[in-house]
Amino acid sequence: MNKESREHISSLMDGEISRETGRFVVRRLGADQELSATWARYHLVRDCLRHQEGGLAHDDLAGRIRRTIEREALAPRSRRWTPGWVRPAAGLAIAASVALMAIVAVGPGDQTIPAPGSEVADRGALQSFTSPNGLTPAPATQQASLLGGAASSSRMNAYLLRHYQATGATGGKGFVSFVPIVVRPVAVKQDLAASRQDEEQEMVGEDSTRSR
Amino acid sequence: MKPTFIPAAVAAAWLAWAGGALAGDDGNPREWLERMSAAMSQMDYQGTFVYVQGDEVVTMRITHVADEAGVRERLVSMSGAPREVLRDSNGVRWVLGDDQSVMADQAFNRSFFPQLPLDQHGQTEQCYAFKLGGTGRIAGQTVRSLRVLPKDGYRYGYTLWLEQHSALLLKWELIDHEQKPLAKLMFTDFRMGSEVDPAELTPSSQLTEFRTVDSRLPAGRGQMSAVPHWKPRSLPPGFELTAHRYFGRENQRMFEHLVYSDGLAAVSVYVENDSAEAGEDAGLSRMGTTHAFSRMLDGFVITVIGDVPAATVRYIGDAVVPVSP
Repeated sequence: MNKESREHISSLMDGEISRETGRFVVRRLGADQELSATWARYHLVRDCLRHQEGGLAHDDLAGRIRRTIEREALAPRSRRWTPGWVRPAAGLAIAASVALMAIVAVGPGDQTIPAPGSEVADRGALQSFTSPNGLTPAPATQQASLLGGAASSSRMNAYLLRHYQATGATGGKGFVSFVPIVVRPVAVKQDLAASRQDEEQEMVGEDSTRSR
Repeated sequence: MKPTFIPAAVAAAWLAWAGGALAGDDGNPREWLERMSAAMSQMDYQGTFVYVQGDEVVTMRITHVADEAGVRERLVSMSGAPREVLRDSNGVRWVLGDDQSVMADQAFNRSFFPQLPLDQHGQTEQCYAFKLGGTGRIAGQTVRSLRVLPKDGYRYGYTLWLEQHSALLLKWELIDHEQKPLAKLMFTDFRMGSEVDPAELTPSSQLTEFRTVDSRLPAGRGQMSAVPHWKPRSLPPGFELTAHRYFGRENQRMFEHLVYSDGLAAVSVYVENDSAEAGEDAGLSRMGTTHAFSRMLDGFVITVIGDVPAATVRYIGDAVVPVSP
């Protein structure tokens, strides 16, 4: 599913989508299981963040949409159809959009590092990653499979597993330490040269700021 | 918790009593952390949670049992690829799912990497600020929130929501030094004690049918050398050497593993010389919120891994040098 589809779903949840696009997305939700699953997942996340244990997006969402569309097809053509569930869903989702965007925007920082020995408390030297569009936290990276490929990748996986096993109890986090390797068993290679270049540019920026 | 297993029952009862005793007052943030640490390893619990990081949203199920067989734990993804991690007295097995592979790392003596006590040398106070928050309700349980705020950019912070009696973790949020959220985890269904169904510890068919790749990392006693053969010239504030193991002999294959911790965050430093292909890993990479930095030095590969910002693994990785005899 592409970024545009995710944005459409988000806009639909917000109630901030044009009528025509909304109808298009709703029809796709009825036919596209992946899109429907994403819709349900977004609602699940929203509900989790809002501590709502009921009212999770129903698994049979696609079926309900399909049935609604079928009913629409039987209705008189002169009637301007608005899916019955869209308004309450959109109403409920207005606040959720804020939470949703907060979720999808989070990602590990593409932090830069001050020179060793420099003042650590210099917060300006460490820059947290913020996604430009709030959806894809993937700066200048490429995917690298960590197992089944090069022996070096297998080695990195072994390091990871040993690290989690050795330090899993650190900080009392227990199983939480292992969660990242269940989510996605690949590492994202980061462009070190680009990272260092950004760091240097930032340093130049800081110097110019200081010189003013 | 099994009626026949007295230590676990006693531990659970003590935790419940201690929790109840503390529930009446605000308690101390550090006490809550210590209780959480004990509960997460000693109690039986089971539940479904949602993990959100970047654009990844994954539902997982955890079953954790501590009984006469030791700690057994199974973490399995309920959405996406069928991945899982199984921990028991034999070590850790990791089902990667998509490529039908299992990676195994054998268990090692607990004295190798003992459970690190919180605030071993009082460093957590230097590195983090603690704030005990209010109560709430998650997965049907009353929880107390606790914020652990990093004082610099070399470590992450956390917001924790702990079950009020047991201090078990029901919601977890990872934040950076500017308090921006990086990842979240929250239970939607949770049970503990006698309600836990140990049948869910049964490994999936993948664990028995998939190709198993051994980590091939040494896990014996190794040498308890007082001084590491390699170590960083300097470290980010608050990090101290907490565990160290060296395997190998002079001019032969060697493997050294050092663990540095600030009391909450931990970083592993690996140094190996049998690494003709390891240069492919050189540079910075990340898996979720875990960062790794690797570089070659005089035929040795140095790799630093930790649930810390990229800046920290690079700092330490760049600083590692051989120790002069």
